[in-house]
Amino acid sequence: MTEDAVLAQELLARKKLAGEIVGRLSDRVLLIRPGRVESVLDELRKMGHTPQVVHRAES
Amino acid sequence: MPPPTADLTAWTERVRETLDRYAEPLARAVTARLVQPKIGQTVEDLADKAAATQTNAPVIDRRIRELPIGPQTLLRLIGLSRQPHWNVGQLITLSAAAGHADGFAPLQLLLEAGLIFPAHTPTPGPITDFTAWFGGAGMLAANVFVHPAVAARSREIGTGEDRKKSRATAPVAPAGDGLDWPLRLAAVWQRTRQLPVKMTQAKLLFKRDLTRLQADDLLAVPLIDVSEKVVDPGVLAFEWAAAAGLFRPVELEYHADPLLGVWPSNLWALLTHLFAAFFQVETWDPLKGYATSDTGVCPTATAALMLFDNLAQTPGKGKTAAELVAPLWEFHPSFPSALSREVAKTQGEGWVESLLLTIAVPLRVIDVQPGEPRTFRLSDFGRHLFCGEPEPPPPAAFPQTLVVQPNAEVLVYRQGLTPALIAELSRFAAWKQIGPACTLELNAEETYHGLESGMTLAGIKQTLDRHAMRPLPANVADLLRRWADKRERISVYPTATLVEFTTPADLDLALSRGLVAVKLTDLIGLTADGREPDFKALRLIGNREYDAKPVKCLTVANDGLTISVDPVQADLLLEAEIARVAEPLPPTGHGPRQFRLTPQTLRQATEQGQSLEQLDNWFVSRTGFPLTPAGRLFVTGRTSSAPVTEVCRIVRLPSVEIADGIVQWPETSDLILDRLGPMVVMIEEENLNPLREVLAGIGVILEASRAP
Repeated sequence: MTEDAVLAQELLARKKLAGEIVGRLSDRVLLIRPGRVESVLDELRKMGHTPQVVHRAES
Repeated sequence: MPPPTADLTAWTERVRETLDRYAEPLARAVTARLVQPKIGQTVEDLADKAAATQTNAPVIDRRIRELPIGPQTLLRLIGLSRQPHWNVGQLITLSAAAGHADGFAPLQLLLEAGLIFPAHTPTPGPITDFTAWFGGAGMLAANVFVHPAVAARSREIGTGEDRKKSRATAPVAPAGDGLDWPLRLAAVWQRTRQLPVKMTQAKLLFKRDLTRLQADDLLAVPLIDVSEKVVDPGVLAFEWAAAAGLFRPVELEYHADPLLGVWPSNLWALLTHLFAAFFQVETWDPLKGYATSDTGVCPTATAALMLFDNLAQTPGKGKTAAELVAPLWEFHPSFPSALSREVAKTQGEGWVESLLLTIAVPLRVIDVQPGEPRTFRLSDFGRHLFCGEPEPPPPAAFPQTLVVQPNAEVLVYRQGLTPALIAELSRFAAWKQIGPACTLELNAEETYHGLESGMTLAGIKQTLDRHAMRPLPANVADLLRRWADKRERISVYPTATLVEFTTPADLDLALSRGLVAVKLTDLIGLTADGREPDFKALRLIGNREYDAKPVKCLTVANDGLTISVDPVQADLLLEAEIARVAEPLPPTGHGPRQFRLTPQTLRQATEQGQSLEQLDNWFVSRTGFPLTPAGRLFVTGRTSSAPVTEVCRIVRLPSVEIADGIVQWPETSDLILDRLGPMVVMIEEENLNPLREVLAGIGVILEASRAP
């Protein structure tokens, strides 16, 4: 989930990332292909982003 | 990863699980050594009781005392190491080095007595016999573990009154603060967090990572506690950190554990933990550095343990390297052969000095007494480890020990540095220099790592404020805030349950009730951490796999514009897709959700780059048919040539046959402008009378049009 639609568009314009995206749920929400989270995170970090990884809290 | 040694319950459970892997006759035989079996008692019941007996000190003491001297010595050495996990090959070496060169026999007795357990089963079947288990696993793969409670008893029994009474009469001032190695391990943990370390199938370092560790200037700075140079300190720090549980193995890579794994905040607990972990370092030699062995059994761990045991036999007395090395040279099976020819000339005195000076002294286990030759003896902490003396008092605390400089560097004075502070700082600041005063750097990447490990911006500032001698500079506080804010720009949920509601009002209601916390679209929400919401408060009508292929889930009404959604078949992406071509219609009670194609929505779609072909493909995938004619009109109408209006006559004929004839007969066909239908033709106004005359000639009377 991105801060704004422009950022989502910027991510989709990145070839490596676009291949890992199943679809765009809304202007700001992109769905990642199953099992590809790590490679998406790597690519985001290569782009200089610092994505917040939201893990499920232990119940 | 084995449980922490302090968690005795977890170890008892582990023993219990291991007993389940024994074949019944073996399980009965082993458990009978620990508990008195009763007639008709099930093997499960016996295993429960035998596992519980591991923490029963009187019973364990009796069983240890019943053992022959060989296995008893071996168990005592394992206990002294504080390392519950050992490789069988190492233990056979250790037993021989202790003067009991009986191969697997001492271990077998310990296994049969239920005092140690196999940690690895190479075959899927149950263990029927320990010799067969060892033979199947092999010297390098067979590992055993000892319940820490049993290890503690063996240590207590083996320590003996003589050792307890032989205290050092003149304590020597400790050489250092014990933080030399903890700091390097924290630094190598950070390096691994930046770039995971790859291992080969043989669990050796890849050349690239080996070079990286060997060339690391930060890890190679001299120890401050002693002047001795460490060979391959980066490699040792990495191997040691891995053994101490600072990394998580992911296939053939080591990744940094987000919280530094097990990292006790008490100095003595941390040093004990690292002391125990050192015996798991397999590929480092004090003189050669990174050393891989063809046999896979590096003598460092076992030789070190024998040295410590030797010193523990006369704790108050200093010993020279020559005195310490003699038993190793005589009994240790692989020690002499591991030495270079030069070092072997003195039977490995240099090896002993190097190990003690670079490992044992910085770890505060050993004190060095200057002189010619210098002598070594157990420190107060060493006597605590080996002789059962009380733990030394904690070092004096100096909480205000760091200065944050305006250039975002943090200067830390060693006097106030503690294991807890090392761990905290390592999570959000990069170690730049390790020495009497250490330097760290605050930067965007490390701040990000700190936040990702669960810290908050407030927590980071609080750590710095709590230990700072001066207030945090405003520009640094601002930098930290900006770096933290940057992380908010993209949120990634590795796993999440999205909840799609029927109407936007339902979603708003769920948000207000706290069932979901984040609104993704008008209809879709998710909980703050992506976990499943409380389904008891929701009426679930279906589940969707978002990675499933798009299915036909739309039907188009006869008007070619109104689209109805099948809620059972619809998938998650439909919402986003349909919004690009149609607009939602207001909900109508319990009927299906509907959308409508409009000239505006389709124009918008084409302006956003969707071609007619793409629209057709999408319609085929979702409805089974291409875009409706009405929809096509909206898409292509503007781009096709302009329609024109004309004044013409329509001739409605009584039958298809007559119409066909008129269209075909050359006398009349030239007068026809177009055929509009099976029985309708169109002619120009001026051709009406000529057509009427030609048709009259064949007896077909063309009547005048009826008045409207």
